Amino acid sequence: MKYKSQAVAKPYFIAAIALFIGQISFGLIMGWQYVVGDFLFPAIPFNVARMVHTNLLIVWLLFGFMGAAYYLIPEESERELYSPKLALAMFWIFLAAGTATILGYLFVPYATLAEMTGNNLLATMGREFLEQPLPTKVGIVIVALAMLFNLSMTVLKGRKTTINLVMLLGLWGLAIFFLFSFYNPANIVKDKFYWWWVVHLWVEGVWELIMGAMLAFVLIKVTGVDREVIEKWLYVIIAMALITGLIGMGHHYYWIGTPEYWLWWGSVFSALEPIPFFMMTVFAFNMVNRRRREHPNKAAVLWALGTGVMAFLGAGVWGFLHTLAPVNFYTHGSQITAAHGHMAFYGAYVMVVLTMISYTMPIMRGREANSPLAQVVEMWSFWLMTISIVFITLFLTAAGILQIWLQRIAEEPMSFMATQDQVSLFYWMREFTGFIFLTGLLLYVASFFIKGKPATAK
Amino acid sequence: MNVSMSLSLPHGNRRELPGDLAMWFFILAELLVFGIFFLAYAFARTRNVELFNASQLELDKLSGAINTVLLISSSYFVVRAVDKIRHGLARACAHWLLAAMALGGAFLVVKLVEFADKFEAGISLSTNTFFMFYLGLGFFHFMHVVLGMVILGAVALKAWKGGYSAADHVGVETGASYWHMVDLVWIVLFPLIYVLR
Amino acid sequence: MTRTATFQWLILMALTAAAVGLSRSGLSDSALLVPVLLMTLIKGRIVIDRFMALQGVAAPWRWIVLGWLLLVLSLIGYAFHMTQT
Repeated sequence: MKYKSQAVAKPYFIAAIALFIGQISFGLIMGWQYVVGDFLFPAIPFNVARMVHTNLLIVWLLFGFMGAAYYLIPEESERELYSPKLALAMFWIFLAAGTATILGYLFVPYATLAEMTGNNLLATMGREFLEQPLPTKVGIVIVALAMLFNLSMTVLKGRKTTINLVMLLGLWGLAIFFLFSFYNPANIVKDKFYWWWVVHLWVEGVWELIMGAMLAFVLIKVTGVDREVIEKWLYVIIAMALITGLIGMGHHYYWIGTPEYWLWWGSVFSALEPIPFFMMTVFAFNMVNRRRREHPNKAAVLWALGTGVMAFLGAGVWGFLHTLAPVNFYTHGSQITAAHGHMAFYGAYVMVVLTMISYTMPIMRGREANSPLAQVVEMWSFWLMTISIVFITLFLTAAGILQIWLQRIAEEPMSFMATQDQVSLFYWMREFTGFIFLTGLLLYVASFFIKGKPATAK
Repeated sequence: MNVSMSLSLPHGNRRELPGDLAMWFFILAELLVFGIFFLAYAFARTRNVELFNASQLELDKLSGAINTVLLISSSYFVVRAVDKIRHGLARACAHWLLAAMALGGAFLVVKLVEFADKFEAGISLSTNTFFMFYLGLGFFHFMHVVLGMVILGAVALKAWKGGYSAADHVGVETGASYWHMVDLVWIVLFPLIYVLR
Repeated sequence: MTRTATFQWLILMALTAAAVGLSRSGLSDSALLVPVLLMTLIKGRIVIDRFMALQGVAAPWRWIVLGWLLLVLSLIGYAFHMTQT
């Protein structure tokens, strides 16, 4: 570790992994409820489990991004973090707010929670992904602003590189788009329109900048390829990501009451959204093939390559499958969407955070790489989780195709619930695969506790 | 062999790509988007020929033709600018680039007048599918002219300050390639939307 | 070099004038289609090969861009031809 203050990333990463375990646990609960409807009723209703599953995902990824930023920005800026104390304080505030919110979801009826937390003052709750009570939302803004202040001051006073500028731009975008969670117009078309600006302009827009910057950072470190080459790729990738993502957003506007031209603009531009992801894959493999050094941390290289491939498959290919308006007319809101969501989030954002953790954690613990045994276990966890998510995606895709056929195309369409019964076999297989994913995740955690002599460069 | 490490292919002999490789990736992506939109127009039209033909009559063909002349000429000026820098004439290069930008600016003015005319007539993206394409594609191309002018401006400034030479002028070729792409796209767009029926 | 470029520029201008002139000549829509597309093809080829200077550049770059032009124009021609009986 070049700068002492980079160590503030460590608690962020630990919290991220802990919340990741929570997310997967609630995913398994929901997966079970899909096939055994009254499982854990009335303690954890399906809608609550779903809310916890998705909110934990977002929050732990945010922890991951923040940790990554606190590690990467000082190193790129070639100076200590502006205020490590502020970064640590924000960690505890964010963790406390996040935990309190999840406990609130689990132990207080949602309507009561809304009443208790001032939703009548400014109604922002009750929308998917934006379920957080008002104080939590305000807390997120404070944490984000404090982080941006801290990081911006560091960059302003230090070296400015493409990587830390892109990272900073992505994080600023993240914070700015979150502000739309406070905007809740009575007109339901407008409400829906701006609702997409929070999480979806993140994942299809500014998060791609964060992801590109993190990937570029790790690739420079593990391959030793010239910074100039990597930064040029980064420019082209983020330009493509922003153009396709910002207008491609139109694919969410098809059926919500917006003007018809979104059918065209959404279809064409979102169909091109795979391009930046494809370029990221080519980029990652190209850089690793041109490597000038053998980095002892083989696991980190594996994660970096995996991110490229899985992001392209999950976000790119599975997104393209149902993005064209004539196709989406049938597939909208079906299990196809769920299939895409799972592989895209895992392939793009989960994996890039794990790449960053895999590269930085050994360094923060005082060695360049973990012991060979620990790395082997980590690579096993990579394959278990990645193959599981591929199968979960395939099962959900199969369920989705059958669902669309029975419910929306067949001569005598079935009701939603009758259709769900018909596809339950796929839900069972998905749930089983989910447990394999959990095994992979537990192995991943275990790899942190395996001791041994650190691997060295050959 | 440092060459294989670099994404930028220096000009050197005539067999290399003019300008930076990264820019060419970007140009291909742009051509892909415009190509898809052109074909979307052509095939959307087949399902609504009368509407497209009737709406097309409301376009100002003359201003479209003037704009074609402006863009083609500015592309020619850019060719002259590249020629100048190859002979090491940095100032003359900057002059030609400025002239090209002036024509680009004139293109924008003509286009704005044309659009203002349509908006006054109460035409919007939602009027019908023809005008959705006409305004949408026109505006999208408009933004490319703006971006192209920004790129040419940056190149001209650097050329003026002596940042390029006869031996090293990849930047000029990179900017020129982008500008020719903007021209090329308009060369297809004009007959497609203004002329063919 | 300069003289060739100027010559190509004049051809481009002439082709543009010819296309506009044809469209005002009162020819039927179907008679217009092929000549206008051909003129566009020539104009595009001049811009790609001469202005962009892709002629002589190592494969596949020139063919990707020329191929784009050819594909787009022929599909446009097909789509317009379909509607003319």
